[in-house]
Amino acid sequence: MRVKREHFRSPKDLPVVEYVTPGSPLCAGCGGLTTLRLMHKVLGENVVVVNAAGCMTLMAVYPFTPLKSSWLYTTMGSAAAGAQGVRDALDVLIERGKLDAADDLQVLVLAGDGSTYDMGLSATSGAIHRGLNFWYLCYDNQAYGNTGFQMSAASPLGSRTATSHSGAVQRRKDIFELWRAQRPPYVATVSSHDAVDLAEKVERARGLNGPKLFLSLAVCPTGWGFDPELSDEIAKLAIETGVWPLKEAVDGAVRHTYVPNRFRPVEEYLRPQHRFAHLFEPQRDEELLTRIQQNVDDYWAPVLAEPVANA
Amino acid sequence: MIRIRFHGRGGHGVKTASRILGTAAFLAGFETQDSPVYGAERRGAAVTAFARISETPIRERGMIAQPDLIVLADDTLLNDPAAGVLVGQETASAIFLNAADPAPLVAQYHIAPPARAFDVTARTRELLGRPSALSAGVASAAAKLCGCITEANLEAAVREEFSHLAVSPDAVTKNVEIALSVFAALEPAVLSDVPRAATAEMARVPYVDPVLGASTVYNSGNAEQRHTGAWRVERPVIDAGLCTRCGLCFVECPDGAMSLDATGLPLVDYDHCKGCMICSHVCPVDAITHQPETAAW
Repeated sequence: MRVKREHFRSPKDLPVVEYVTPGSPLCAGCGGLTTLRLMHKVLGENVVVVNAAGCMTLMAVYPFTPLKSSWLYTTMGSAAAGAQGVRDALDVLIERGKLDAADDLQVLVLAGDGSTYDMGLSATSGAIHRGLNFWYLCYDNQAYGNTGFQMSAASPLGSRTATSHSGAVQRRKDIFELWRAQRPPYVATVSSHDAVDLAEKVERARGLNGPKLFLSLAVCPTGWGFDPELSDEIAKLAIETGVWPLKEAVDGAVRHTYVPNRFRPVEEYLRPQHRFAHLFEPQRDEELLTRIQQNVDDYWAPVLAEPVANA
Repeated sequence: MIRIRFHGRGGHGVKTASRILGTAAFLAGFETQDSPVYGAERRGAAVTAFARISETPIRERGMIAQPDLIVLADDTLLNDPAAGVLVGQETASAIFLNAADPAPLVAQYHIAPPARAFDVTARTRELLGRPSALSAGVASAAAKLCGCITEANLEAAVREEFSHLAVSPDAVTKNVEIALSVFAALEPAVLSDVPRAATAEMARVPYVDPVLGASTVYNSGNAEQRHTGAWRVERPVIDAGLCTRCGLCFVECPDGAMSLDATGLPLVDYDHCKGCMICSHVCPVDAITHQPETAAW
């Protein structure tokens, strides 16, 4: 089941113009880069990216940047605070007549899951609380990828990272719900696999004043351990198994934008990834596999029980 | 002291190769040191790793500019001046080339040190079914050329290093097999201890006001000047006749290294395409095929 789309119907409807050029040093097959590129297409050129330290800071290595927009680099903990400063500066310039309102920039925080779920959460929470008018894109590759793939609060149960050698024993934080609890005007999950869904959500959020928060599953060939060619396939499996629900919350009201007609077993998503290899070899960890499947089933049970809410 | 410098691309496993060599030399009773260069670049980009092997404690640190052995996992790097494969080749006693026949490369790139060669990629593909993950074979070549490491040391080191990587027992066995076949096929290098130039004085960097000293990029979108096309091991080739102009490959290319012509036909920007091959995988009509990147573009 897919919700009706008002602005974009097919990949052909997406803007052809690029605001992120090729030539960046990011890994081949980076799902986070795909998401940023697509989101930027819809946002347009007048953007200032406030980038928390992480994989994406390596996007721009002196003296090169792939961004046709502006870019400011902050610590992992302070991107949302940086966004406040930039937004305030722009507002002051407009108020004093030094910047034409037509040349205003949209402020976009770009942060990984380490920053989003861990170090930068307090600054983001503060910005949401103040109703800061900004965009936030979290490229969630479920670990500290930039420094060698250490566990973060986004690392899923059972996943192997550099600091969880036999698999994470914790469940990941539900950052969507943490954000939503503060009732910002717009919160959404997106995926590089569904470019049209992503573009539609950016367009839907455009007119809203306040925090517009996007959480993207950033498939990561390097950290998750799969061939880069499979990036889109893994992103697709995350959606089709129900591991990565596509949804949005406008003023707190949740709506799923895609619900698989028939959910594929979670195993199909886990098995191709090296970070889950220990669940299958040398012998199957039936207990953990059952728990992971159960967690997904438990998530969807109440969603599927609502008959028309998602139509 | 033997100084070994490895060159490869992210994903080839040259960092692991330097670790295997270091561990093997340690097991053989030597003082050892191994380290990779962590640059800003990633999977597919040029990667360098170093190892030092000595009978006495090693005081030397840092990158190796004057190697005794150069070990090259991917000959397309010879085309990339920034990779610096042949830097310091005057002092090198041998160079290992991952190729079936070193002669054309030696002639084309004016390689000075005696070349030894073995097609590690072919052997790896044969046993592991994929052309990357060259660490065991490349480490083995280095170990044999050093001349001071036994087959038993090498095998133990491969097992030790792979135990940290959580690969299946079957993959470990196959990597050992690759290592031993490379080891058996090569002869030790004749190492000559060329005297090294004195280490330079440590440079003092003057204090600069942060306003002036901070690295600010005034251009926008200038990363296009950097040609990441050399990262590819395979290139996507589009069959215009089969293509339905659906645009999926254009949308899903992470790097935006795909454009559409007036008719909607996608065109690959080979100067920048990193060869992830997502385009080929998402194509609904299989109009995009893989073509091995035999020579550098």
